[in-house]
Amino acid sequence: MFQVYLPIAEISVNLVVMLGLGAAVGFLSGMFGVGGGFLLTPFLMFSGIPAAIAVATGANQIVATSVSGALAQWRRNNIDFRMGAVLIAGGMAGALIGVFLLKALREAGQAGLIVSLTYVALLGVVGVLMFAESIRAIRRARAGKSASARKPGQHNWIHGLPLKLRFPRSRLYISAIPPLVIGWVVGLLTAFLGVGGGFIMVPAMIYLLRMPTNIVIGTSIFQIIFVTAVVTVLHASFTHTLDVVLALILAAGGVIGGQFGVRAGQRLRGEQLRALLAMMVLAVAIRLLLDLVLKPSELFSIAPLAAGA
Amino acid sequence: MRAALSLAALLAIASAPAWAAEPAVGQPTPSEELQSELSTREISIQANFTGIEILIYGSIDFSQTKAPDTGVYDVVIVIRAPNHPIVARRKERVAGIWVNGAGKVFPSVPGFYAALSTRPFRAITSDETLKKLGIGLSNLDLGRVSKDDPGEETVRSAVIRLKQKQDLFQEHDDAVAFVGRSLFRATVALPVNVPVGRYTADIYLFRDGQVISKNQSTLDVNKAGFERTIYMLAFRHPFIYGLLAVLVAVLAGLAGWYAFRRE
Repeated sequence: MFQVYLPIAEISVNLVVMLGLGAAVGFLSGMFGVGGGFLLTPFLMFSGIPAAIAVATGANQIVATSVSGALAQWRRNNIDFRMGAVLIAGGMAGALIGVFLLKALREAGQAGLIVSLTYVALLGVVGVLMFAESIRAIRRARAGKSASARKPGQHNWIHGLPLKLRFPRSRLYISAIPPLVIGWVVGLLTAFLGVGGGFIMVPAMIYLLRMPTNIVIGTSIFQIIFVTAVVTVLHASFTHTLDVVLALILAAGGVIGGQFGVRAGQRLRGEQLRALLAMMVLAVAIRLLLDLVLKPSELFSIAPLAAGA
Repeated sequence: MRAALSLAALLAIASAPAWAAEPAVGQPTPSEELQSELSTREISIQANFTGIEILIYGSIDFSQTKAPDTGVYDVVIVIRAPNHPIVARRKERVAGIWVNGAGKVFPSVPGFYAALSTRPFRAITSDETLKKLGIGLSNLDLGRVSKDDPGEETVRSAVIRLKQKQDLFQEHDDAVAFVGRSLFRATVALPVNVPVGRYTADIYLFRDGQVISKNQSTLDVNKAGFERTIYMLAFRHPFIYGLLAVLVAVLAGLAGWYAFRRE
């Protein structure tokens, strides 16, 4: 009942399960204010979708959710379009490399392994850092002290770089090189892992570029639309791993789930939310790691020769 | 193209009785002849496709059995999808992690294969004949010739095992049943993940270990409707497909924002 045949993945999936998966990830992303790609792609892999298809389809789904998010941010005037453009320029260069990297790995039969390993490393580090930070915040809150505010306007090595540009919306006059590099790294991750990259970009922009936090979130979500859109087109063109039917099902679930997530998130406190999210991230990392470390019941695998060629 | 094919088929049918009838002239017992047909000649894979069961049926003209199930005849049916090269890899433990090792290429692996028969294959005919006709998974030619490698057989059997697990390789040595003296039938289940292409169904009639008559039918498996449009677009015009996917996602995002906006 409710089975849907996916034309590119060439498997039949349960419509209710996939809508539910999209909604669950949308709920989490709405609750925690994150893109959710880093949860969606591993969940798709757990449910039997090949890694490369999970990545490309995940990127396409993020286009939909980030359009909704960016519109809300734009109405609050939270987007630095000039900064966004610089990030997008870097992101496109990174995306191009990421797509061809994934294509080469897929042909060598190593896409699943390298994607999983990168996820384990990334989610492991981010999860541990977030968990430690949120525990400290919870302790501080219990002790009755307020979190120490970071002092803006401090100069660091970033201000010594050439190619300075003025970013009036963020009230910054800095070199274009750091945002280009940040954009490049995030573009690479988007193409390679099917993530929006907000969990890398947001801290990078706050701590390295010292942009105001509200502008950071708006600008991040704005640039994610364009980078994920480029990644979608690149994967469709070069790896043939994009399943638009699956992406649409996930997006439908995601948009609805996200709205409920936002409401649920407003009832929980920030540091508790972050601790929950950190535990979630670590659980996904551990599950991926176990799949790599435990002896598989079937050692052999088969694949069409020169997939996508 | 299709019209030309069906015309050729009509001509073949029309001309068949001429030479089929020939041996009957002046002979007391005309030789047996196999007639067969599939329940469907064309399968369309659409969004609601979850696999399909095909019926293969036929009869033996001039059957010489006096009563059903006397075991004079055996029928073997082999269904194949077009061959494709595949690569098989074995996971090896590297630094505590299971990693895909170097791949072995099998140049011609049928996308789907099913062998159905009235009795176990080896009870019907010799290993030689089974090998020649490719009846049974152990006699299937996957296009690899190097027999020197001792690990070869392990990989080959792994390929077959994995294909069996996906129901893309099947063998059922009791799937063909006789109904009365000359009628036989068999069913085969095509799973949801069947590849597209022109399938062939070879039907062999055996008596005393020899093929005394054979027949071939074809079956076209195609994606249809919306699924076909998407598949064609994705592989023929991938750039446009990508742009459309983005457009659809943007529209979905806009719709979501509009439906849930709080003014």
